[in-house]
Amino acid sequence: MGVAALLVVVLPLVKMIRTAWLEGSGNLGDVVSRPGLGAAVTHSILLAIAVTALAVPGGALLAIALRRSDLPGRRLLLLGVLLPVLVPDFVLGYSWLRAYGGAGFTDDLLGVAWDGIQGPLGVTVVVAVNAVPLAYVVAAVGLAARAEPSLERAARAAGAGPVTVLRTITVPLLGPALAAASILVFVLTLGTFAIPQVMGAPTGFATVTTRIYANLSRSSDPAAFIEAILLALLLVVIAVVVVAPADQLLGPRLRATRTAATDPAATAGGTRKPGRWITATISGYLLLTVGLPLVALVATALTQAVGLSPTPSNWTLDNFRAVITVRNQEALGRSALLALAAASILVVLGGCVAALERTRFGRSTGTLVMLTFVLPGSTLAVGLLITYGRWLGDTALIILLAYLAKLWAFAHRPISGAVDRLPPDELSASRVSGASPLVALRTVVLRPLAPALVAAWLVCFLTALHEVTMSSLLYGPGSETFAVVVLNSAELGQVGRTSALSVLLTLLILAPAGLCWWAVRRLDLRPAPSSESVDVD
Amino acid sequence: MSTDALELRGLSVSYGGAPALTDVHLTVAAGEMVALLGPSGSGKSTLLHTVAGFHAPRAGEVWLGGQRVAAPEGGEPPERRGVAMVFQNYALWPHLTALDTVAYPARRRGLRRSQARAEAMAILERLQVAHLAHRRPSELSGGEQQRVGLGRALARQAALYLFDEPTAHLDTHVRGVFLEELLTRRRETGAAALYATHDAEEALGVADRVVLLAAGRVVQVGTPEEVYRRPVDVWAARLTGSASVLTGPAGEVLVRPEWARLGGDRTAQIADVWFRGPHSDYLLNTPDGRLLVREPGSPRHRAGDTVAWTLLESWALDGAPGRRGQESSNLAGPE
Repeated sequence: MGVAALLVVVLPLVKMIRTAWLEGSGNLGDVVSRPGLGAAVTHSILLAIAVTALAVPGGALLAIALRRSDLPGRRLLLLGVLLPVLVPDFVLGYSWLRAYGGAGFTDDLLGVAWDGIQGPLGVTVVVAVNAVPLAYVVAAVGLAARAEPSLERAARAAGAGPVTVLRTITVPLLGPALAAASILVFVLTLGTFAIPQVMGAPTGFATVTTRIYANLSRSSDPAAFIEAILLALLLVVIAVVVVAPADQLLGPRLRATRTAATDPAATAGGTRKPGRWITATISGYLLLTVGLPLVALVATALTQAVGLSPTPSNWTLDNFRAVITVRNQEALGRSALLALAAASILVVLGGCVAALERTRFGRSTGTLVMLTFVLPGSTLAVGLLITYGRWLGDTALIILLAYLAKLWAFAHRPISGAVDRLPPDELSASRVSGASPLVALRTVVLRPLAPALVAAWLVCFLTALHEVTMSSLLYGPGSETFAVVVLNSAELGQVGRTSALSVLLTLLILAPAGLCWWAVRRLDLRPAPSSESVDVD
Repeated sequence: MSTDALELRGLSVSYGGAPALTDVHLTVAAGEMVALLGPSGSGKSTLLHTVAGFHAPRAGEVWLGGQRVAAPEGGEPPERRGVAMVFQNYALWPHLTALDTVAYPARRRGLRRSQARAEAMAILERLQVAHLAHRRPSELSGGEQQRVGLGRALARQAALYLFDEPTAHLDTHVRGVFLEELLTRRRETGAAALYATHDAEEALGVADRVVLLAAGRVVQVGTPEEVYRRPVDVWAARLTGSASVLTGPAGEVLVRPEWARLGGDRTAQIADVWFRGPHSDYLLNTPDGRLLVREPGSPRHRAGDTVAWTLLESWALDGAPGRRGQESSNLAGPE
């Protein structure tokens, strides 16, 4: 296991440092003084700070509001808040352009267009919208684990009003979760590529990731290549500088949380009816940030030409017909196959690491895996390229390798969490009942782990399906993935066709996700809520 | 106009359609201590949480100190009801020290931090846990945590205390000490209290009156003596302690273990014997049914022995559960 991590993560990093050292030492001055380099670094850092400042409070507010079990339409809202996870970030960015940009949806219908959308402001807002679900999930888990309803009730009984409870109890309890969410959002924003590329690059707003892409795919200048390696290394350095002290500081506190189920009945809301305005506000937010952009995207895909109003008389399927080519179908098949292979291998690897972690020797492997989570995709891709590019160059295998390295943590987290929640006595009980270790594993461990394994597989599969940061750097002739096809189409300026491709890509992800969601509900694979945590008599 | 500390008028509460409390009438006089006794799921916590203001009633009203605080159309929020609560799972805030936890209610009353802390320190000293003032809940034992929880409730200076099974999670040897502390402090404040528990001994021992709850309904209300000696049915009898049911010609009668003793004019065979420390329990096979007899000291007989016994007292049940029993001083047994 350690060897696998070594091959896909550590070796590429070492190789990058070596290459930068050997080839860059002579002309380092030339590289660093290249125009636009400093701006790109500044943009990346400012973007990460701004997005963190927007997305984390947003996610926390959503988590606190959505905890009320008596909120009207709560189930739909929960689904809506998590929906952006399933929309590829590239598609989200592009659909915002179609919705609010020039010649977009609101421009056509109301004559209102947001001029600054293709620039720092637009990029910041859309990356933040894309990051809110992550911040929400971390905050919601933190709330469920630490802020038990009885703690807030105790404060109400002690004389505190709802706002005081929020200030003195709920938010302080959420502290560690919010800190963790901030770090995650910051680091992931640092490595985000698709949204800045599709929304910022056309107007010259470059970040470190888009510059790496430009250097590698647009330039044959050796200095550009060295610069790409340096930038990729810089991303890691910033990520590690942010994550390492935070992990030291917060690690024990985050891990020491109890697992408590959410309140079955009510939270400390008192006896007053919840305001419908909470539901209205969240619905409005979802409509503006996800609903309308996606509608605009579909409308564009169905409309004959840009500039025509998206009314039925102008509807056509021409855009879809135009993109269903043999080449695109091959790319689609390749994407599906890659995602399938990556997800299946990762679930096995994730399970092994989760098991190994529990031994003294394996603990560092778990940490190493978490490192891959914060390692920006651009860095991984550059590292893999200079390490294995010579042999695997233009094959899809190098893309598979990248998926394995990047998504390892995605598989590891849910599986490891589920293993942690396994009551230790159950395994002992099966052993004293006469089961050998393997039989015990099969009969009492695997079954409760099934939901986590399915979830891990699904997350890996769906993420790999629309991965574009690494794919766009690693693909060669004959190995492009479907997401790369969409990106390239956008850069050619084919608005109608890009919209059609984006719609197809989104459907490709929503379909299996919806199917699995339905299957999980149908089979009730989810672990039953623990009855212990029910405090109501 | 009521001046009772608490009055519940036809209170009904439901969770998502499932009834949790049905038509509960109850008063707690000023300074009175009332125990809510019932098995888990009987609605004890729901009742306390409705009084505190965490659940809204579906029907009925809650009155505190002569003021209506809850009705189906709306009610006062918990912080304006002036009740103090001690929680089963302690409900201590992990980010606050014991001192700041106990100072919390005073801060909400508008006291400045230093004043609130001084007041909290005095309470912690009275509870003999002043040395723990700067610890957080994770550094406290269960008994210490619940003392801090009690301190927080005392700091509320309320006219009504709600105790939600405060000893349920405590070890047996800590339980007695804590309970004694709780009773002493409650008595000092002179406030009324509602004490929920599933432990019959605790309920009978702490309360002026006991309310028996079953499936969200009040089954019986009375002094500890009344509910123990004159239970309304077998279920109520078993909830308040051990009881045997004998079938005689006059119908079924209830016999507490200490209402019979060994020696006398009747004979029975011993089915089983248990040594309990201060006393021993004998299970007798009598012609009228199985009877549990409690005698002081170590066992003097063994299972299988034939012994003589006497019935000192019994309580006649009308057969069908729920109907009122009749007191009878003697049992006419077939000899």
